[in-house]
Amino acid sequence: MTDLSVWIREEPTVWAFPFVISCHTVGMGLVAGISAAIDLRILGCAPRVPLMETKKFLPFLWFGFWLNAVSGVGLLIAYPTKAVTNPVFYLKLAFIALALVFVRMIQKRVYNDPDLDQKPVPRRGRNLAIASLVCWAGAITAGRLLAYTYRHLMSGE
Amino acid sequence: MGAFQYWLMQTLFSIQFTKPFMNSKWGWPTTETVHFFGLSLLVGSIGMFDLRLLGVAKRIPIAALHRLVPWGVLGYVINICTGFLFLSIAPDQYIYNPSFHFKLLFMMFAGVNILVFYSAVFRKVRVLGSGADAPVAAKIVGGVSLASWIGVIVCGRLLTFYRPFRCPSPPTDILLTCFPK
Repeated sequence: MTDLSVWIREEPTVWAFPFVISCHTVGMGLVAGISAAIDLRILGCAPRVPLMETKKFLPFLWFGFWLNAVSGVGLLIAYPTKAVTNPVFYLKLAFIALALVFVRMIQKRVYNDPDLDQKPVPRRGRNLAIASLVCWAGAITAGRLLAYTYRHLMSGE
Repeated sequence: MGAFQYWLMQTLFSIQFTKPFMNSKWGWPTTETVHFFGLSLLVGSIGMFDLRLLGVAKRIPIAALHRLVPWGVLGYVINICTGFLFLSIAPDQYIYNPSFHFKLLFMMFAGVNILVFYSAVFRKVRVLGSGADAPVAAKIVGGVSLASWIGVIVCGRLLTFYRPFRCPSPPTDILLTCFPK
């Protein structure tokens, strides 16, 4: 584990830390971006898009999520102390957990309605879309602030 | 090109109105965060449109999904503005950075691809209804768009790993990747 940590952090190749953090950013665009686009549709944008069919984009959203779960673990292995000693890191995880709960609730409550495209989305579904947008914005903000708020970069420092 | 890069750096350095904000404690982190919001907005809406061209979610009429594109344009505009803030405060770190050169190249691919789409492809796909497969030309445009934006993101992320240094000797390259003098 220590070897892997040192390799990701210090190996002077673009395939170590730079590759992992690039994956993390592409994954962020996929998971937060696709989720946000579906939320916008639920809130009434592009009204002629059949909402039921937007389900087909969910595998790409989940691909982005798993890409970020794996690359995120890579980043954590590279700088474990930096993350675990920073309260903002736990705030980021909480925002992500909440956002995922809202995505799952949208999958269960909104998409499970067979008359989905015959009537406007109920209030409840719209609230879930707003909650999801807020949580992704929170997760991105907290994630970006990790670079500015850490107290210890490595253990012993 | 070296003379142009130098002129551009001096011109950006002379911009004053962005400096109080960008030099404040919250300037840089706030701008980066907003840049990431713009990125997500762009990738989400434009990426979904590209995927539809490529054959995902075919029951969505392309013209209907095209109504989400303005959100991608909004993301793009947000990122041009926040990108300008970064450049105005540290132009040398971008203008001589090879990763930034590649980022601009990928943005150019995306831009030319958009021109091709609206001049030759859009009028063919906007009439396609629910269930219709997009023609091969539209699929190529969708694929090029996805690849270009991923290229833009990766090059943006790699900027910090290719920070330029002072040139050791008077440079002769056409496009400089170190600062002269």
